[in-house]
Amino acid sequence: MSNSIPEIEDTDLIFVFGYNAADSHPIVARRIVRAREKGAKMVVVDPRKTESARVSDLWLPIRNGANMALVNAFAHVLIEEGLYNREYVESHTEGFDAYWETVSRYAPEEVEDITGVPADQVRQAMRMYAAAPNAFILYGMGVTQYGQAVDVVKGLSGLALLTGNFGRPNVGIGPVRGQNNVQGTCDVGVLPNVFPGYQPVSDPAVREKFAKAWGVDSLPEKPGYMLTEVPHLVHEGKLKAYYIFGEDPAQTDADLNSVREALKGMELVIVQDIFMNKTAMFADIILPATAWGEHEGVYSTADRGFQRFRKAVEPKGDIKPDWEIFCLMATAMGYPMHYSNTKEIWDEMRALCPLYFGATYERMEELGSIQWPCPDLDHPGTPYLYAGNTFNRPNGKGVLFATDWRPPLERPDEEYPLVLSTVREVGHYSCRTMTGNCTTLQSLADEPGFLQINRADARKYGLKDKALLWISSRRGKVLTRAQINDRTNQGTVYMTYQWWIGACNELTLEHVDPISKTPEFKYCAVKVEAIADQAWAERYLEEEYAKLRRKLAEPVG
Amino acid sequence: MEKKVRTVCPYCGAGCQLDLVTVNGAIVRAEGAPGRTNENELCLKGLYGWEFLNDTKRLSPRLKKPLLRRSRDSQFEEVSWDEAIGFASRRLMDIKRKHGPDSIMLTGSARGPGNEANYVMQKLARAVIGTNNIDHCARI
Ligand code: SF4
Repeated sequence: MSNSIPEIEDTDLIFVFGYNAADSHPIVARRIVRAREKGAKMVVVDPRKTESARVSDLWLPIRNGANMALVNAFAHVLIEEGLYNREYVESHTEGFDAYWETVSRYAPEEVEDITGVPADQVRQAMRMYAAAPNAFILYGMGVTQYGQAVDVVKGLSGLALLTGNFGRPNVGIGPVRGQNNVQGTCDVGVLPNVFPGYQPVSDPAVREKFAKAWGVDSLPEKPGYMLTEVPHLVHEGKLKAYYIFGEDPAQTDADLNSVREALKGMELVIVQDIFMNKTAMFADIILPATAWGEHEGVYSTADRGFQRFRKAVEPKGDIKPDWEIFCLMATAMGYPMHYSNTKEIWDEMRALCPLYFGATYERMEELGSIQWPCPDLDHPGTPYLYAGNTFNRPNGKGVLFATDWRPPLERPDEEYPLVLSTVREVGHYSCRTMTGNCTTLQSLADEPGFLQINRADARKYGLKDKALLWISSRRGKVLTRAQINDRTNQGTVYMTYQWWIGACNELTLEHVDPISKTPEFKYCAVKVEAIADQAWAERYLEEEYAKLRRKLAEPVG
Repeated sequence: MEKKVRTVCPYCGAGCQLDLVTVNGAIVRAEGAPGRTNENELCLKGLYGWEFLNDTKRLSPRLKKPLLRRSRDSQFEEVSWDEAIGFASRRLMDIKRKHGPDSIMLTGSARGPGNEANYVMQKLARAVIGTNNIDHCARI
């Protein structure tokens, strides 16, 4: 995030694009409520009438899969109506002419058929956005889980650039993402193209610095593969071994069938995790690790804040902290690696990363949270980026970026007439092995999860509320339960992805964004079929669930 | 005697701070703490998300020992850490020798393990195995 979570409270306008704070981040949702109490306006773009949409000043019910077209239309209005900040654009941005060349073709009236949003609402939204002294854009998986994701993110940044909403408190743009430590995992270089601290592997000086610190002659310069490329690389015979650390691709990735084929196609699968899960069933070796609560370290918040987490209980069983397991592996592979504690690891990394150097354990203890950049030992941290409107480019200017809208890959047709979009739900978390094992949270919702469907569609396909049904795509078929929901739009159905029986990723498509490689979770074509014999379906569900749990419990004994 | 440990909720990027309250080494409840982002508030996940540590087995059991399967059609068996690490490292080295470091893919974890564990994982990939094939599921 360019700015901080607490700043949301003090902005004048909250612009929410494809993000459902109430379901994804309840504490962010409360900040939004408080901002509203202080008088902030709110505009929401979402195909569903989400909780945020319900309480907003203006809700734009966008058609699924039309994000880029709508963002371009927003830019069109800002420029055409002269609402943008000319002075800011001249001094702090570049690329205006090419930008206008593209967005000029997206008058809101022209693209109404694509976006489904009435042109006057698009215009009104931008008049509100431009009129606000400070505006904060929040986006979520409604943006990032489409085939055209990175383009849309850059397009949204473009709106903030056009209106000068950067470089001071209470403005900017924030992705608020799913899992707790996505930010931290990026921060420490678990990415195929950068070392810790966002230092590129392609830079020879950076490689030399790390090679020297790590005591090796050289480090690889070619950027690595991305996770979503794995199935296809195994198929081509390029990948032979997979070391999976704390992830469950056989549950969370798109097109589970191809993921399972990939796992089977590997010569070696190592899984390191805390629970038995679907992926571990494909492993050759499973290494058991300590969990949150049993070990310590640092997480990064979504707004770049380093915070220490601590051990509260002793681990049970013959298990080890993850970093100790990696040290054993490295040493066994001929590279002696040893640390006494996480602080030693942190200090080694800090010394290699100018962005984090001042964020020591002691200072985190004292300040509670330190937001990077924090370059030296008396730096207070950085609540908002781009102070003085200097951007991370050689000439310090922000780039205005626009590109044409690309339709989603798999459109509904006669055989598969509905669009399936995957969503998130309060209480459960990704692959669910943690929350699914919490008694209180487990009782909130149970297998096989739900299919949210509009009342008219439900009637059309003969589905009753709470009835079990089949849903299928060209890739698979699963059992789920109808939840008739008047807030969803006609023609699109919604499922959450953490269920084992109702695993919606059996249905989703592996089509990925060319840059971020995010699969298109938010859009694929499906059909639904009512089940006449509900008693049979309930029995079948119970049996399948029991079978699966038994299968997972077996290896652990 | 109650003890309190200040920590960070592991369930979303809001990074709410909380105190885990333990009695005789077992967690009994969580309380909101004055963190920068949450200022004493917590949602349901923060309040009850610690329950899995008591190994409820509602969904799936905690792993307690290294498990090894000598061939894909045999059963998992419990092994010692020495044997597990020996097996995994030998097989990885073999594959590296035969197919090169770029035939090995590694993931980090965007959940509970934390920044230090992930730092060590990418160091293992880059310095020991010799590949940049490391990624995590930020995209999901
Ligand atoms: S308490 Fe709720 S909002 Fe806060 S970090 Fe945990 S899951 Fe996120």
